[in-house]
Amino acid sequence: MSTKPDPLELNAAVDGELELARQLALEASDDPAVRAQLADLQALRAEVREHSTYHRAPAAVHQRVRALLAREAAPAPRALRWRIAWPSFAAGAATVAAAFFAAQWALLPWQDLRRTEAEVLASHARAVVAQRLVDVESSDHHTVKPWLSARLDFSPPVNAPEGTQLLGARIDYIGGRPVAVLVLRDAGHTVESWAWPVQEGDADVRWSEQRGLRMAHWTTKGMRHWVVSDLNAQEFTNLVAALRQGG
Amino acid sequence: MTDPAELRRFERLVLPHLDAAWNLARWLARDEHDAQDVVQEAMLRALRYVGGLHGENARPWLLAIVRHTFFGWLRENRPPGLRSLDARDDDDPPLPEPPAPESDEPLAALARRDEGARLNRALAALPVHYREALVLRELEDLSYRDIAEITGVPIGTVMSRLARARGLLRAALEAEDRSATRPHLRAVNEDKRP
Repeated sequence: MSTKPDPLELNAAVDGELELARQLALEASDDPAVRAQLADLQALRAEVREHSTYHRAPAAVHQRVRALLAREAAPAPRALRWRIAWPSFAAGAATVAAAFFAAQWALLPWQDLRRTEAEVLASHARAVVAQRLVDVESSDHHTVKPWLSARLDFSPPVNAPEGTQLLGARIDYIGGRPVAVLVLRDAGHTVESWAWPVQEGDADVRWSEQRGLRMAHWTTKGMRHWVVSDLNAQEFTNLVAALRQGG
Repeated sequence: MTDPAELRRFERLVLPHLDAAWNLARWLARDEHDAQDVVQEAMLRALRYVGGLHGENARPWLLAIVRHTFFGWLRENRPPGLRSLDARDDDDPPLPEPPAPESDEPLAALARRDEGARLNRALAALPVHYREALVLRELEDLSYRDIAEITGVPIGTVMSRLARARGLLRAALEAEDRSATRPHLRAVNEDKRP
């Protein structure tokens, strides 16, 4: 072989990933530079393999994952019954089951939130992709609000804070119920605002960011609000504050 | 809730690779607590998708989920101003100082631990994509093909990342050796661009 090996090829050689003929040719090379480079790479490999730490999952992580599995299996009672029939395991099984339910209980609100967030994003994405942001196109809240009220079992607040323009509204479906979506325009950006009634107390604003979109949600006067936009952070914060004052 | 058959499949095929999942997450996140979040989320996803796992070798499959989860986690947990995954890796937080060795350790053990600490430091300081490539290659002993599939890049990219990673690692180790008389100096040159 006459061609000079490049670093990629030398690395592939020490990794045993070269085509056999080329590999043999390299290994048999009498070019001292090539031999030195190969030896250096081999030494480095040996050093990494010997001295860097392979992190094994700590016991706590094994337990967590086991708990996760058990939680997934929880509604299949057959496995549990088998265990309980074994008297010495009864206490253990009860403890384990209690832990699962506790974990399940603790994770529930978080999972709910994640699901809602995903659904809100999906609603936004559907509207944008299908280029069908609004079902009723009007900048007049005396048109939009009755339109929404007539189609929902609640009457969502309809307000466009100063500096924004109401484009209209649509109805979407989130968390298994129809919800109102207001569409606003603010400084050239589209802002969407969801609202639906919940049986919960007020909750302060929580912020998040997904796929470059800013999201905020809060609960006030028995109404859950979500807002999504691609505004920058400052504008978005101001807008949410204005929406909260108006709603 | 998961179908019992899928649960058994998960236990049989995926669970044995929990250590590999942890190792990758731990090396990517470089923090126990963050790695826990990543692994837990990754295992949940793995459980959800286990039906789509074909063939018996679940390790690359699981590692792909882990790294995907990690990068998603990174996007969510780093302020947007600091986010640059493919360029310079400025989002990597600075490394903690290595602990001072205890004086009454036997000399050989001390030297060994030092060698490990030195390697770990240099490896952890690599930009994330190089670190990832080396961990998959040297610690998980995966083939180029597997690494390409896990990281979602062509084999050519895997090759250049590994070559670059080894070059950077070698340079970092040499720099550290040179500054051995002044311990605890950061060994890696920050302005090395991929």
